[in-house]
Amino acid sequence: MEILQYSIRKLFSGIPLILGVTLISFVLMVYFGPDKTYELLGKNPTPEEIAEVRSQLGYDQPFVVRYVDYLRELATLDFGNSDSTGERVDALLARTIPVSLALTAPGFVLGNALGILLALFAAYYRSTWVDKTIMASAVIGMSISFLIVIIAFQIIFASSYGLGWFPVRGWSIGSIGDYFSYVAVPTMATVFVALGYNTRFYRSVLVEEMTRDHVRTAKAFGVPPSKLFYKNILKNSLIPIITRIVFSIPLVIISGSLLIESYFGIPGVGKITYDAIISGDQPVLKAVVGLTAILFVLAQLLTDIMYRAVDPRITLK
Amino acid sequence: MPMKFLLSAAILLTTALLLSGCGDSQDQGNPGSEVANLKVYRHAMDQAPTSLDPVQAANVYANFIVLNAFDTLFSYKYLARPYELKTNLAAAWPEISADGLTYTIRIKQGVHYVDDPAFSGGRGRELVAEDFIYSLKRHFDPASRPQGAWLWSGRIVGLDEWKQAGSDYSAEIAGLRTLDDYTIQIKLIKPYPQLLFTLAMGYSAVVPREAVEHYGREFAIHPVGTGPFRLTSYDTSKVILERNPNFRQEPVDIEFEGYDPQRHGFSGVAAIDGLSPPLVDRLEINFIAEASARWSSFTKGDEVQYASIPNEQVDQVLASKRPVTLKPEYAEKYHFAAGIEAGFVFQTFNMDFPEFGYNEDPQRERRNKALRCAINKAYAWEQRNESFYIGLGKVFPGIIVPVAPEFDTNLSTESITRDLAGAKKLLADHGWTPENLPPLVYGTNSSVTARLMFEQFRAWMKELGYPTEKIILKRFATFGDISKAWKESRLPFVSKGWGLDFPDAENTLQLFYGPNGSPGSNDANYRNPEYDRLYELASTMLSSPQRTEIYHRMNRLLIDDCVSITGLARTRIYLWHKDVIAIPDREIVGGFFLRYVDIADTEQPAITGSVFR
Repeated sequence: MEILQYSIRKLFSGIPLILGVTLISFVLMVYFGPDKTYELLGKNPTPEEIAEVRSQLGYDQPFVVRYVDYLRELATLDFGNSDSTGERVDALLARTIPVSLALTAPGFVLGNALGILLALFAAYYRSTWVDKTIMASAVIGMSISFLIVIIAFQIIFASSYGLGWFPVRGWSIGSIGDYFSYVAVPTMATVFVALGYNTRFYRSVLVEEMTRDHVRTAKAFGVPPSKLFYKNILKNSLIPIITRIVFSIPLVIISGSLLIESYFGIPGVGKITYDAIISGDQPVLKAVVGLTAILFVLAQLLTDIMYRAVDPRITLK
Repeated sequence: MPMKFLLSAAILLTTALLLSGCGDSQDQGNPGSEVANLKVYRHAMDQAPTSLDPVQAANVYANFIVLNAFDTLFSYKYLARPYELKTNLAAAWPEISADGLTYTIRIKQGVHYVDDPAFSGGRGRELVAEDFIYSLKRHFDPASRPQGAWLWSGRIVGLDEWKQAGSDYSAEIAGLRTLDDYTIQIKLIKPYPQLLFTLAMGYSAVVPREAVEHYGREFAIHPVGTGPFRLTSYDTSKVILERNPNFRQEPVDIEFEGYDPQRHGFSGVAAIDGLSPPLVDRLEINFIAEASARWSSFTKGDEVQYASIPNEQVDQVLASKRPVTLKPEYAEKYHFAAGIEAGFVFQTFNMDFPEFGYNEDPQRERRNKALRCAINKAYAWEQRNESFYIGLGKVFPGIIVPVAPEFDTNLSTESITRDLAGAKKLLADHGWTPENLPPLVYGTNSSVTARLMFEQFRAWMKELGYPTEKIILKRFATFGDISKAWKESRLPFVSKGWGLDFPDAENTLQLFYGPNGSPGSNDANYRNPEYDRLYELASTMLSSPQRTEIYHRMNRLLIDDCVSITGLARTRIYLWHKDVIAIPDREIVGGFFLRYVDIADTEQPAITGSVFR
């Protein structure tokens, strides 16, 4: 009951956030985004045809009217049809979000799990060659452009110039084997880059926890290292770890990964979003921005509830 | 307890979403799958179309699918070059009245649409003449968001008036009607020699009204036509089409299609003689924007079977550029074709800018012309060709492209030959100094290549004596943005490319016809009464030496007025796997060749060869 009441309060308090995000993004879309009109015209348009297209796109309406329409669409989750493909936006997202999720989830899970594991090692062997090696590797992973990693991994693991173990591109899944085959190289590329950021972040969190009095006390009482790390350090470090992971989820779900999807030919939401940005497909953009804002509010709620679960001292008020 | 419940629910939801992402199995063409034994051709393109609705088939990417899912009255012969029209849905060539104003076209009987829920009982009905009328009317109905009206506007009796009256489909149009279920009659306001070409374009593909009404705006992703293939899936990464089992049986006459053993023998296309298209069971068109990914997929062996050579791979793959030949290791594995595009890249001055174009002061106008000519003389086309088109582009004078039948082979190349001394003299003779030269705003897109092209241009202008700070770059993030600037006449200098819609120089000459000024296709806003008079004179003439001569005169007028810095036609090099029996072509026709693509049962003999247009 406490959780339910808190959730309702939290969701209501998220409304200003959603209004703020949607307003700012809509201002950017309308006043700074691409003008879709000229992509929808023929080669030799007349002024009348230009006016017709602008009217169809709603460009001839006052900003306030268009923004209120946006809020209505967000409330009803009915964003109409894409201005580019004509496909219904809800169908478009329903088709592409699961693909992006299936694509990014393994990399997300592995990147975080391995990041925590390596951070534990680095923290435990702080200032030794183990720590330095892990941190140096992390910096290398962070320093190389994601694009370069993708191209290199594609050539090494998938192309005929390299090992050729996996498909170069595509998303043709008829079995779980196919899934692993298509997701392997994108996952490796994602993990390679994410690992650097994650390991550095988690290491700093763990090192900070290791310097606390209760850890020193536990050590003095002779608690074995494995128990010390799991119970006294990792569990007490969960607050920032949860924050980082949960707040990444909306981006994993909605944004997908543009570069991965483009280079590996995967029909996910990242490519859809990118195309919408560069072409000014406002119905799709409005949906993506609005839903991302809603997901962040939900992520905030989930984070608070999880804080309560991992730290009983925290109350949901 | 609530926490465990929440956690379990979250895991279940995530698993369900993951499974739904994996379960959308669109492509069973991989080895071991249920359709592994089908003939599958996997094509690659560098962009995806945004709409598959014929009224929005504005580019080659859309036409690749539209022309295979739908039918047009006419199409082009598979192999004949220069391009030649042939009948497609039309049962015969049209009967044309003596005054050239009335076209009577009979269409084939017994042509059926693919089965689709849009039809009563789900069975595709027979295509009738009224469908063509409806399809053309859609271009004049704003609700369809059409892009092809410019082809027929002001050409067909009553069509523009029909739009002005509200685009009521129940209203008849005097110039566009059916005589019976299989006969179409088109009445023109004035002769339109390019009419049949427009009826081979994806824009004129025939659609069934009930499907358009059934799917609404989503008709753009649910094409329902009578073409050789039917669409089974479409997303940002690829489109999959399967053989239309009801497609009419029309055996290929390879000689009629323009087969020449010397030019085409290497490809094995002679083997399709007598077969009825489509020849593959399944057609996949992969949209791969990244050249490296496209090349890796092509060379993998079991993925895409067709690709162009990325610029960065040219030295790796080609043994020589003139003529184009492959290194042995590539020639052993792939067929290739090299040919000049049916289009060109060029720059124009916007004559509406008094600093460079028309000016109320006649003396300044003369000086402006000298300035334009000097810039043209300082432009180094060959250097541009080497820097950005791997030295394989064809530089030509004027705007009649080499692929057009009216190309002027005798035209002087002076306008494309760099003459820096002459350019400097021209400036000096007309009183231009670094101090009084006007700022030149160079608008382009935001790509790295575009930036490099600008820097090269600025360097040439610096050599001419143009102060660097007066050559100003204005970048546009998207094509829509730069297109808007062109159409609103906001740029004094326009860089762009043009692909031919049909093989007739009229298609490029109209780019400088006065009444087509902004927001029309005449971005140069060139208004020369003599040019316009000649254009209007030629516009009603059938192809003939007299018309070609008029075209040539117009071309020379443009060169003399230094309104445009032109031009270069890029050379395309295509490679395809040797088990693919085809001569691919993406020019003009867009995707007509796909119905003739076959896959060999066993690997073809390793013959090296090429096609030159």
